[in-house]
Amino acid sequence: MTRTIHLTLDINGQRHELDVEPRVTLLDALREHLGLTGTKKGCDQGQCGACTCHVDGKRVLSCLTLAAQAEGRQVTTIEGLAGPNGELHPVQSAFIEHDAFQCGYCTPGQIMSAVACIREGHAGSDEEIREYMSGNLCRCGAYNSIVTAVREAAEMA
Amino acid sequence: MTIMAPRKFGDSSDGVVGGRQTRFEGDLKVTGAAKYALEHPVENLAHGVLVPSTIPAGRVVSVDMQAALASPGVLLVLTPEDDFGMRVATDWGGNRPDEPYYPLSREVRYNGEPVAAVIAESREQAVAAAKLIRVTYEEAPHVASLDDPNAGEGNLLEHLSASWGDAEAAYAAAPVKVEAEYKTPREYHVAMEPHGLTAKWDGDQLTVWEPSQWSHGMARSYAEWFGLPFENVHLISPFIGGGFGSKGAALAHGAVAAFAARKLGRPVKLALTRPQNFTGYGGRAATRQTIKLGATQDGVLQAIVHRGASETSTYGVWPEQTGAATPIMYKVENLSSEHRVVPVNTVTPGALRGPGKNPSAFGIETAMDELAAQLGMDPLELRLKNYADRDYQSGKPWSTRRLREAMTEGAEAFGWSKRNHAPRSMRDGRTLIGWGMACGTFPVIQAPSEAMIRILGNGRVEVVSGAIDMGQGTYTILAQTAAEIFGVPVDQVEVHLGDSRMPGSAIAGGSMLAGSILGAVHKAASAARDELIGLALSEPSSPLRDTGANTLTFSGGRVSVGGEGPSLTLPELMQSLGRDVLEIRRNTLPDGASMEDQHQAWTTMAKVEGPTMGEYSMHSWCAHFAEVRVDEDFGTVRLSRMVSAFDCGRLYNPRMVESQWRGGIIMGIGQALLEEGLVDMRNGRTVNNNVADYLVPTNADVPDIQVISVGVPDYNASALGGKGVGEVGIVGVAPAIANAVFHATGKRVRELPVTLEKLI
Ligand code: FES
Ligand code: FES
Repeated sequence: MTRTIHLTLDINGQRHELDVEPRVTLLDALREHLGLTGTKKGCDQGQCGACTCHVDGKRVLSCLTLAAQAEGRQVTTIEGLAGPNGELHPVQSAFIEHDAFQCGYCTPGQIMSAVACIREGHAGSDEEIREYMSGNLCRCGAYNSIVTAVREAAEMA
Repeated sequence: MTIMAPRKFGDSSDGVVGGRQTRFEGDLKVTGAAKYALEHPVENLAHGVLVPSTIPAGRVVSVDMQAALASPGVLLVLTPEDDFGMRVATDWGGNRPDEPYYPLSREVRYNGEPVAAVIAESREQAVAAAKLIRVTYEEAPHVASLDDPNAGEGNLLEHLSASWGDAEAAYAAAPVKVEAEYKTPREYHVAMEPHGLTAKWDGDQLTVWEPSQWSHGMARSYAEWFGLPFENVHLISPFIGGGFGSKGAALAHGAVAAFAARKLGRPVKLALTRPQNFTGYGGRAATRQTIKLGATQDGVLQAIVHRGASETSTYGVWPEQTGAATPIMYKVENLSSEHRVVPVNTVTPGALRGPGKNPSAFGIETAMDELAAQLGMDPLELRLKNYADRDYQSGKPWSTRRLREAMTEGAEAFGWSKRNHAPRSMRDGRTLIGWGMACGTFPVIQAPSEAMIRILGNGRVEVVSGAIDMGQGTYTILAQTAAEIFGVPVDQVEVHLGDSRMPGSAIAGGSMLAGSILGAVHKAASAARDELIGLALSEPSSPLRDTGANTLTFSGGRVSVGGEGPSLTLPELMQSLGRDVLEIRRNTLPDGASMEDQHQAWTTMAKVEGPTMGEYSMHSWCAHFAEVRVDEDFGTVRLSRMVSAFDCGRLYNPRMVESQWRGGIIMGIGQALLEEGLVDMRNGRTVNNNVADYLVPTNADVPDIQVISVGVPDYNASALGGKGVGEVGIVGVAPAIANAVFHATGKRVRELPVTLEKLI
């Protein structure tokens, strides 16, 4: 397959034009074609959550989403979370303060999930946070601090 | 990569050694700006994928690659037919056979061994073409796993045997005996960042962006493979998405990518798929061990007889030492321990968090629980009663061993004194509740390191080292060290790490890096400060010269005589000295070490010292206390509470240490309840080679974990008093949980993981 399709993607409020094969995933489009490497590839098969980003405000696994499916939608990645002057989103700050990561590889996915988790209203208790953050694996085992950080950010929201 | 300007939380006292400074590189990690290996932008990339073998043993007869070659975008197909022209690199033990190296092997030794590779313009094209490759094999008989009836007894590794007293006789004579077999399955690292690299040649200079726990050691492998001087290889690894022991060595896929890049004359990126991460390198070997404990009626240990075995590959010996913890946990006058390795058709196993100590502790710490149960005794009391006053294996005194404090303070925090020691004595409706405990240990391993300190004219302090940070907190503690020595805030410090062109360091493995590199940075920074003091007091241009002082104080961002009189900031001082930069490099090798010694120290294991090579026996210690809730009808186990107390000496940054301890404990929870590599006996295939089928703990599997430090500085163990932190956390977790399950249910599970079918 060598045919490419032309896509216009709205990512973090910016228009991006690209020509890719139709089978290119949103994750690979971001990482390999647009230089947006903040979104991570942990498994490429929908099992780990590292590639989580937002499409129209909802969390999706970008490794299971074709880039073409994102056309006409608003994509937000970890690079688009901070404010216009680089001020960190409350979830990002809480992750630093509570040491909610070690290697940092799962972290963009955790943070994108956490922002959505709070927005969905699923951060009401530690138990609920644990459940609704369980699609994001962290092999470094930062779970306790992730729960604390999400709870704190939810309380501030 | 330069890491600077950390966010500030807490107060300024956090920014010194021992302070709770937040993660130095935190901003980069929460914004997605931290660049991991595969994310480095490289022009004109080609993409490679591997084709793994589908048989467990035999040889590749032919590879039909016509269709693949004709597939769109394909640039190159590599097979065992290709002459790679590479030579074997030095192994862990320092051996280097003078042989050619074939990263794509004609002999197939395990299912999943790479037998071909496809390089194409895009990864998608390479993947599609790889599916068109047809490999014809000549199959040979195989041994699928340790449980294979044809596996045999394996080979005794004499150097791992321990023996004193007369263990068999003392066991035979002991009035109370327990004997049981314990088993652990294959377990995998599952670092969230898959292995992979980008390799790029400029003439005979090779640049490799690859996650690495040991930048110098891996660069040395690439240099040896290609017959290059060490300096010609540049391995870059500023961020590593988890390693846990898996990213310390250059591997076949790296060789394939580097070879392909040279052959094509363009850079090649090659990442293992998640399934390939289960066979591209070895996880923890499956083990089995028999333990016999003999004791008096009142619980005094008389004898320990231990016989263990672990699987290894058919082409390499990696012992997962089931007797690693057994001889040093308790006071015992008679002990015999042996370990065998059993070759099977697997990739050679490797180091995974707490190698050896971990399965070893599962054996001895479960056996002690069995003994306590048989005696009707509190397992904590049994352990305290047999507390080892010295290392009975080496005969040496402990440097520091606050295991007693770990046990008693952990028990106190957990509420252990309220435990009814009878199994099945606690329940909540149909849920059985159990409390269990176990201890763990990991040796202090020492190695030299080197570091460079640069003070710039603008007053910024740079720490430069090839040491790496895969989440342990290297950036942070090195920044704290420099900040303390120069009396500046942490945000005036920059830390450059993870690069084979920087000063060499110990591997980030065996929990040895922090103690080693901190020693080197401390030494270099102290020397740089002394140099500055010398200049400030002697240079005519220095305003501090006339103070007549013989030393200076660095504090609050200013240099002064004991905080009195005139003071200068670092940039002011540098300016008055007319210096743009002051650069000092120091290592912790003996004085006068030759360049060759130095090279050897950074690129091999030759200078690494074990825990008993000096006057003392040096180890980290821990005690874990677990509460489980077991559904009586379904046998499902939930961990509901965990308290762990540690003696790891001085903590350089408690915030980072607590995170690492919890991380180790959580991996232990996985080991206890979830993790098990399953092998298809018919073809030696790892069937659950993905993270939906090989279960690792999720957020919902993990309760709040309380961690406690009971350590005191141990200056025999390291220059600044710390002992290893990263590995010890996992050791003893699985037996603590399995013992809790026994307490809840009365069922003793001796084979990990403790899954429901073993309980109903
Ligand atoms: S990379 Fe998408 S879920 Fe793992
Ligand atoms: S921080 Fe390493 S995997 Fe989560």
